[in-house]
Amino acid sequence: MEEKILQILEEHCIEALDYDGDSMMEDGIIDSFTVINVVSDLEDEFDIEIDAKYVVAENFKNKEAIVALVQRLLDE
Amino acid sequence: MMDTAFRRVIVIGYGKVTGEVLQHVCEKQEEYGYSLEFIEHEVHPFSVTEKICEEEGIPFHRITDKKELAAFFDKIKEGTLIISASNNFLFPASLVEKEHITIINFHNALLPEYPGRNAPSWVIYMGEKETGITWHYVTAGVDEGNIIVQKRCAVGEDVKAYELAGKLMDLAGEAFRERFADVMAACVEAKEQGFDAGRRMYRSYEVPSDGFFRLTDRPEDIYRLLRSVDYGKNDIFPPMRTMMDGREVKVLRYRKVTPDKRREEEGVLYLPLGKEALLKIKYSSV
Repeated sequence: MEEKILQILEEHCIEALDYDGDSMMEDGIIDSFTVINVVSDLEDEFDIEIDAKYVVAENFKNKEAIVALVQRLLDE
Repeated sequence: MMDTAFRRVIVIGYGKVTGEVLQHVCEKQEEYGYSLEFIEHEVHPFSVTEKICEEEGIPFHRITDKKELAAFFDKIKEGTLIISASNNFLFPASLVEKEHITIINFHNALLPEYPGRNAPSWVIYMGEKETGITWHYVTAGVDEGNIIVQKRCAVGEDVKAYELAGKLMDLAGEAFRERFADVMAACVEAKEQGFDAGRRMYRSYEVPSDGFFRLTDRPEDIYRLLRSVDYGKNDIFPPMRTMMDGREVKVLRYRKVTPDKRREEEGVLYLPLGKEALLKIKYSSV
């Protein structure tokens, strides 16, 4: 699963792979338009619905947060 | 010190273009000697403007109430430039008419075409091949003021509303940086829009195709409609709906795929999109 997520990130925002901070948005690594693309691909890849309430900066602060979000949704 | 009548600059808006505008006027502050403030009227989940304000020491005001915001502007006494970038607050006529206040606004279409709300959506829905951005002076009428600058871009055949909106914001940032000095020096040769009195104004409650399509519609038209309302998880528009086997269903997501990606799944339909592609639509009951 993690590998697939990293592939999606690599496609839309390669800088996210090496980012080790805790606010990709504020640090200019990822913008809201890229988040939309990432969300769309995650939904397709894992056949999950990522509700708008989960599409917040906290869940996209770094790659680990994105992996944790997908894991949580798959576990639901 | 650069010459300008503006002693105060106020930026209002949200999103990517607002951040770019804010950064530029912050960089230029010392050259002109104006005071700078930012107003957040609509809260956006991924807004970076508060962080920019924090880092640059720019006073940040969160004023979500319209009356409170109008009262804030009403107290302005000195020569002031208000920069409205991705902002949906309508400036009252009493403010617009004040001689010591100049307001400029970014509109995400080539005015006088597509005035009002959600222009990128309407541009895609109408099948336009080209669109662009306009910076204009604000008058009492919505999107009616004289044009400061415009920039054009192509509308790609697969582009979605949020992608086009982002591209337009980039263009707007570029145009703003190019013309800011002219605005500050009050030497813009602004162009009248020259529109008909009866031009269509796009309202926030209007939805392309009234949010509905038929499965017998051309797949290209369905694809265009779906792209036109696609702002990701931002619920600017309700989900598009159609009738299937006598029941109403809503579109959850869609994608243009190659035929080899076709998989028979529950709640998924495929429509032919030209000779080498399919429109995959995932749906659920309303």
